[in-house]
Amino acid sequence: MRVAYYKGCLASLSAKELDTSTQALAPKLGIELDELEAVTCCGAGDIHEAEPDYYLHLNARILAYAEATGANTLMTICNVCTLNLRQANFQLQNDDALRERVSDNLETVGAPRYSGGVEVKHLLWLIADGDGYERLKEVAHKGLKGLRVAPFYGCQILRPSKLLGFEDPDRPWSLEAIIEACGGEPIDYPAKIKCCGFPIIQAREEVALGELIQPIEQSIEAGADVMVTPCPLCHLSLDAWQQKLEASTGKRYQMPILHLSQLIGVAAGLEESELQFKRHVVPVTPVLEKVEAP
Amino acid sequence: MDVALKIWRFDPETGERALKHYNVEAPEWACLLDVLDIVKDQVDGTLGFRKSCRMMICGSCGMRMDGRAILACKERMKPIVERGHVPVISAMGNMPVLKDLVVDMTPFWTKIRRMKPWLDTGYEEIPEREFRHTQEEMNPIHKESLCIMCGCCVSECNSMESDPEFFGPAALAKGFRFVGDPRERAQVERLESYNDEHGIWDCTRCYFCNERCPKGVDPRDAIAKLGAESIKEGIDRDLGAKHAKWFVHSAKTTGWLRETELVPKTQGVVSAIKQTKFAISLAKHGKVPPPVPPHVADRVQEARGLHELVHSQGRAGAAGIVQGEKALSRIEHPSDGDGA
Ligand code: SF4
Ligand code: SF4
Ligand code: SF4
Ligand code: SF4
Ligand code: FES
Repeated sequence: MRVAYYKGCLASLSAKELDTSTQALAPKLGIELDELEAVTCCGAGDIHEAEPDYYLHLNARILAYAEATGANTLMTICNVCTLNLRQANFQLQNDDALRERVSDNLETVGAPRYSGGVEVKHLLWLIADGDGYERLKEVAHKGLKGLRVAPFYGCQILRPSKLLGFEDPDRPWSLEAIIEACGGEPIDYPAKIKCCGFPIIQAREEVALGELIQPIEQSIEAGADVMVTPCPLCHLSLDAWQQKLEASTGKRYQMPILHLSQLIGVAAGLEESELQFKRHVVPVTPVLEKVEAP
Repeated sequence: MDVALKIWRFDPETGERALKHYNVEAPEWACLLDVLDIVKDQVDGTLGFRKSCRMMICGSCGMRMDGRAILACKERMKPIVERGHVPVISAMGNMPVLKDLVVDMTPFWTKIRRMKPWLDTGYEEIPEREFRHTQEEMNPIHKESLCIMCGCCVSECNSMESDPEFFGPAALAKGFRFVGDPRERAQVERLESYNDEHGIWDCTRCYFCNERCPKGVDPRDAIAKLGAESIKEGIDRDLGAKHAKWFVHSAKTTGWLRETELVPKTQGVVSAIKQTKFAISLAKHGKVPPPVPPHVADRVQEARGLHELVHSQGRAGAAGIVQGEKALSRIEHPSDGDGA
């Protein structure tokens, strides 16, 4: 299937490893990526909160360029992008007058109009069931040797379920299904559906660390070797801010954090040049050693 | 039908906590509240829970079912019984438990009062005639006006778990109910006061409040409306507001978020220097891209043009969120009506 691919700003800059592993993995899963070039940041929750009318227009512009590729799916690899784009999309699809006004504005600045013909889906949803899941089982031929993997969903792929709606936000199953298909053992812990604190990590660091500590400590307690997340923002706080958590608690965690496409990439035998683990702050070596062990 | 459920009991006198199993016969139409009434009538008269209206309007019966905050009078038991599921009932979170399913709502009410939940119309004398307002003028606070102050949104608020002084979703939604009221005259004073350390920008956008609210208030959206109104009024001293403004600036200049500059723009140069050691560790792993050349999106002039255009069209502030509410209300909630 051909999809318009919106990688968002983290995967273009600080989380390049997410983009390279996704680009390497997608064709193996039968997903042909048509990468959007002329798009901007979706604005995270920030532009939605600072200038919501501008947020709507920026996201409409991304949707319009996706529609212009002829694909009917816009694939995201970030929770926050997924919520932002789906929220804007529902507003535009269900209100003709609003869509006309926004399309007129898009046209005025030289961008394509948007007619509402695109569905926004996260990579996670494309491979958690149906054909994608069948392919996944074949692609993950190397397996994970029973690696104990703690799924971390993060907030904005689950809630509000009215806008996301792929699975039960309180008992999600998609990451677990993927971990199993890859030959890993999913680990359960309560904070897997809670917030990692990223949106306020700069403005309210202590409050954010009070949130971040829960998934990190609980997954360690549950015996996880590694955590996996579908969101580069969760990845940034879990991986890069872990050192701040260590500094404030005086404990040593060293919990490796993988992006979804890296976890599958390991099971599918992708190269280090595609997975780019050297870009992680917490070393991934112990995970690789476990998987490579004879 | 035969209903089975487990209830977390708490006895304040002994401090004992225990998960007790109950089986009762209930009519097919019974909701959780009916079942609790039957348990109290027939099995154990000491079971503590709050109730009044039995019709989702008084806000008394907030509690948790399988860890989710719900109204006991809204949850139908039949589909749960048919699934063969035995739900676990417990008290709401983020508030101290007084007895069984009853929580101490004092912190909740203190925060509601902190918002000054009354109109400040700016006149002393009662005018001779009533004021007339159109439906359109009242639309911005339609959702916030539906709040029944049940506390379900607060129960799972992730910021409040970490910062118990956070005003929280119910109080902030109440705040917008007054900021957005066309009769109100003290909007700016209110926004100043809601821009407190524990106010608007303390919310971590976990969206548990929108997920849980049984009345469709969507408190997180109300908080975004307060943020948008604050920035429109130039109240942007909070780091959260500065952070949000920097995203707007990035989008219209380079198209993509300029991460290297986010810390100094949000926190100011002095604290940014204190962050240097942390920043170096990020830079080592390519987490912070070098500042030059900035990464510029193709056709970024379109994003800049849109910014100017949008500013000339008078939908700044909360209006930008309100305009989409009608469309969003047309989406069916997946859990509507299945009682699960
Ligand atoms: S959500 Fe974050 S990563 Fe995704 S496009 Fe927006 S700013 Fe970039
Ligand atoms: S809605 Fe009014 S009348 Fe009904 S129970 Fe609540 S307070 Fe009483
Ligand atoms: S916002 Fe919703 S959940 Fe929160 S107190 Fe009001 S009605 Fe209850
Ligand atoms: S979105 Fe904000 S107010 Fe709502 S529950 Fe989460 S942290 Fe609390
Ligand atoms: S008893 Fe009044 S809301 Fe449930």
